[in-house]
Amino acid sequence: MSIKKEDQLLDHEYDGIKEYDNLLPSWWLATFYGAIVFSFLYMGYYHFAGGPSLSDELQQDLAEIYTKRKSLEVKDNGPTEEALAAILADKSRVDQGKVIYVGKCASCHGNLGEGLIGPNLTDNYWLHGDASLMSILLVVADGVAEKGMPPWKGMMKKDEVQSVVVYVKSLKGTNPSNPKAPQGEEVKN
Amino acid sequence: MNSTVNKYDFYDDEIVKKFVIATVCWGLIAFLVGLVVALQLADWRFNFGLPWITFGRLRPLHTNAAIFAFAGNAIFAGIYHSSQRLLKARLSSDLLSNLHFWGWQLIIVSAALTLPFGYTTSKEYAELEWPIDIAITIVWVIFAVNFFLTIKNRKEQHIYVAIWFYIATIITVAVLHIVNSIAIPVTFLKSYPVYAGVQDALVQWWYGHNAVAFVLTTPFLGLMYYYIPKAVNRPVYSYRLSIIHFWSLVFIYIWAGPHHLLHTSLPNWAQSLGMVFSLMLWAPSWGGMINGLLTLRGAWDKIRTDPVVKFLIAAVTFYGMATFEGPLLSIKSVNSLAHYTDWIIGHVHAGALGWNGFLTFGMLYYLVPKLWKTNLYSVKLATTHFWIGLLGIILYIMAMWASGITQGLMWQAMDDSGNLLYPDFVETVIRLVPLYYVRFVGGLLFLLGFLIQIFNLTATVLQANKEKVKDPVAKGSRIPFKDVISESSHRSLEGLPAVFSTLVVIAVLVASAFSLIPALFTPTKMSAKSIIRPYSPLELVGRDVYIREGCYLCHSQQIRTMSSEVLRYGPASTMEESIFDHPFQWGSKRTGPDLARIGKKYPDLWHYRHMMDPREVTPKSLMPAYAWLAKDKISFDLIPKKLRIMQQLGVPYSEYEIDNSIETAQMQAATIAKELHEHGAPSGLEKTEMVALIAYLQSLGQMSIKPLEVK
Ligand code: HEC
Ligand code: HEC
Repeated sequence: MSIKKEDQLLDHEYDGIKEYDNLLPSWWLATFYGAIVFSFLYMGYYHFAGGPSLSDELQQDLAEIYTKRKSLEVKDNGPTEEALAAILADKSRVDQGKVIYVGKCASCHGNLGEGLIGPNLTDNYWLHGDASLMSILLVVADGVAEKGMPPWKGMMKKDEVQSVVVYVKSLKGTNPSNPKAPQGEEVKN
Repeated sequence: MNSTVNKYDFYDDEIVKKFVIATVCWGLIAFLVGLVVALQLADWRFNFGLPWITFGRLRPLHTNAAIFAFAGNAIFAGIYHSSQRLLKARLSSDLLSNLHFWGWQLIIVSAALTLPFGYTTSKEYAELEWPIDIAITIVWVIFAVNFFLTIKNRKEQHIYVAIWFYIATIITVAVLHIVNSIAIPVTFLKSYPVYAGVQDALVQWWYGHNAVAFVLTTPFLGLMYYYIPKAVNRPVYSYRLSIIHFWSLVFIYIWAGPHHLLHTSLPNWAQSLGMVFSLMLWAPSWGGMINGLLTLRGAWDKIRTDPVVKFLIAAVTFYGMATFEGPLLSIKSVNSLAHYTDWIIGHVHAGALGWNGFLTFGMLYYLVPKLWKTNLYSVKLATTHFWIGLLGIILYIMAMWASGITQGLMWQAMDDSGNLLYPDFVETVIRLVPLYYVRFVGGLLFLLGFLIQIFNLTATVLQANKEKVKDPVAKGSRIPFKDVISESSHRSLEGLPAVFSTLVVIAVLVASAFSLIPALFTPTKMSAKSIIRPYSPLELVGRDVYIREGCYLCHSQQIRTMSSEVLRYGPASTMEESIFDHPFQWGSKRTGPDLARIGKKYPDLWHYRHMMDPREVTPKSLMPAYAWLAKDKISFDLIPKKLRIMQQLGVPYSEYEIDNSIETAQMQAATIAKELHEHGAPSGLEKTEMVALIAYLQSLGQMSIKPLEVK
């Protein structure tokens, strides 16, 4: 038993429990005082000396992100009808598109594209654009928020959007059973 | 013993036995329910399609059972056992003791009979509805009277540090419970709190945080100060440390509530106060741990041999760990990663399983042989319990750390082009499922250990001598008042418990008043009226469905001031947006995505199909199905009363709106139902809660009269 000299018993006793009167550990006191000093400095800096508020920091972060997005947009002119057609010819990309479609689109357009909440994607009738690859890309990327078609460009990576677009294109003319009635204009594409 | 002996010459251990038995029984239930909800997060099908055991209804039952039934009864057992001995007096009244016991059990039973059926205020750890709240107040007062009268009857002039902590507990819990529960009844089991939005958030987390402080910390510290020195038979390490850490804990704890609201719409400076007070709380908390651990100096070998000491010391170590993690999680930058994730669940369980659980287990292994006057049936089994339980806790905490940090990182992750790397929320959910199974196994081990304990304790009681031997009250005496006040300052306070208690009251009230001041710096309903509209009658009904189903236990409604949140959910939430929310629905954990701006994101039919079965629209979702909502009918006749109460609380409904609320609600319901039917949903939904819930969801984030400034 190694009882140090500083252990000094007090004359208190409660149901046999005694107490020493040891000094507070100095490292403990240091953390306590340290936290108090830090607190004053922190409050002083952020709330009296003009330190940035959380919303200042948020605005700055967002500004950086938007600038970055802008600079990338300038470099990247976006795909063309030909580029998308090349993707349509790539079976692995179409398959990738199918996986995405089943997970994210089938809930509104039906498992086979026959239409449900959203329109039939297999027929010749289109609400938006002429059913060219570029026009499908446009509606999928930007959505029709007020009609319940979500904008997907923020919710998927660029190449994923392109894959699902070419998959949608590949559905055309597949004639699923119980299709939704045509909506929009007849198109030739 | 002859029959003329005065019962006040003996301690009342019968009541302690009752509380011990209740602790064990409710503990079993609390852990079992915990295990079920853990399993439901791993696989939603474990609710078997029964409304009353879906996650949102069962989780409050688990938390309330763990805190108020298991820990609560353990506290009462320990307080009644140790206080009598520390004060050298029998409990003041057998009648009060028994009213306390049976009253408390009745409250627990009524919790178990209301929460699964959706009677909830939705304020975490204060979910019980108003009649039960009143019962809690009454029983708590009975407890307080019993306790303070016992102090009055004491045969020991000074009160020991354990008693200080008990006093702080009794006083503060009363204040917290009453202030947080003020509500206006709508029906016998439904009420609206008087606070709304950011004010409600502030009051709720002042309560929530301090429920952890004054139900799960201070009473357990008191128990620690009694049972550790008793078990190891060594003096307490430092009396001075007791004084300093007691007062700093009582005063500082109260302020730290806003660390539950970092990066929300609560004013920035109030968040900062919550953060710095949490940092200041670290040392006072560790003061308790140091005093517990260092009391063992010179008797370390007992950890090896005595299971009681094993449990108590492990408990204190977990306390130290959790109270280090707490301040860490309160630092804004750490919090931005951890808030709303499973890390917080892990943190809570380090405290609940490690500190409260193990301290209680240790206390039970100490108490049961003492109370029943025998030896523990098997030391070996107790040691086995210890190791199995410890392994369970470690698995649990590790799984939640991994899961929480994964969630936090995935929510924030961005690619090089400034877009979210995981824009689809469900991806961040699927990733966690294996960890949820690990957590389940951890919980299972913890429960297994407890079953071993139940066996061990039962065998101990069964082997005990049936003849009842009572412990006589120890002889003691009081000293004259003038001698008490001539002692050193804190020592004389200890000799004057009334003055001591008054000082505790003052400390708690002053700190509370200051920490609730930010509520005065929030917009008023009057000023918000021109920015935001109140809920339509049908939306209000839908909101009550949302509350009843406990959606807030998986979904937040608060977009934080962080770029990843703004990119995912839209502009950060403002104070005005929740100003008509009695109660607020900001939530504390995101198993599903934030819903603050879900309105108009999807068509009604999407919501209908999603509520009928989430897997129909999100194949891998683990959200429960709520198909019964398409059958349950709306109580239209209650609507005017609901609006009237909201009006009394300051929500700007006109007389005209209230008078016509039933028709307005029916019209809106008919419109939604008609459109749903046109798109292929069955007809006849206009009377069901489904359309009300859809109306509510579609209103979220769509209430601004002026369009929000989108940057
Ligand atoms: C929440 C339901 C919903 C989801 C999910 C959804 N859509 Fe749509 N979609 C709609 C609706 C509704 C419309 C019709 C918009 C209108 O009426 O203008 C639509 C329209 C479209 C159109 C234009 C059709 C036309 O006739 O012009 C395309 C293409 C399309 N969606 C593709 C997709 C793809 C690809 C996905 C998955 C990445 C998807 N949608 C997911 C609801 C949805
Ligand atoms: C067990 C946790 C859990 C509970 C309880 C729960 N949800 Fe969900 N919720 C989820 C998860 C996970 C998702 C994401 C996957 C999905 O879309 O289903 C989700 C998604 C949602 C969404 C879609 C959000 C979006 O932006 O895509 C809505 C709306 C929703 N829940 C509403 C509710 C309502 C209303 C309740 C109560 C009746 C509820 N949830 C209860 C876990 C839960």
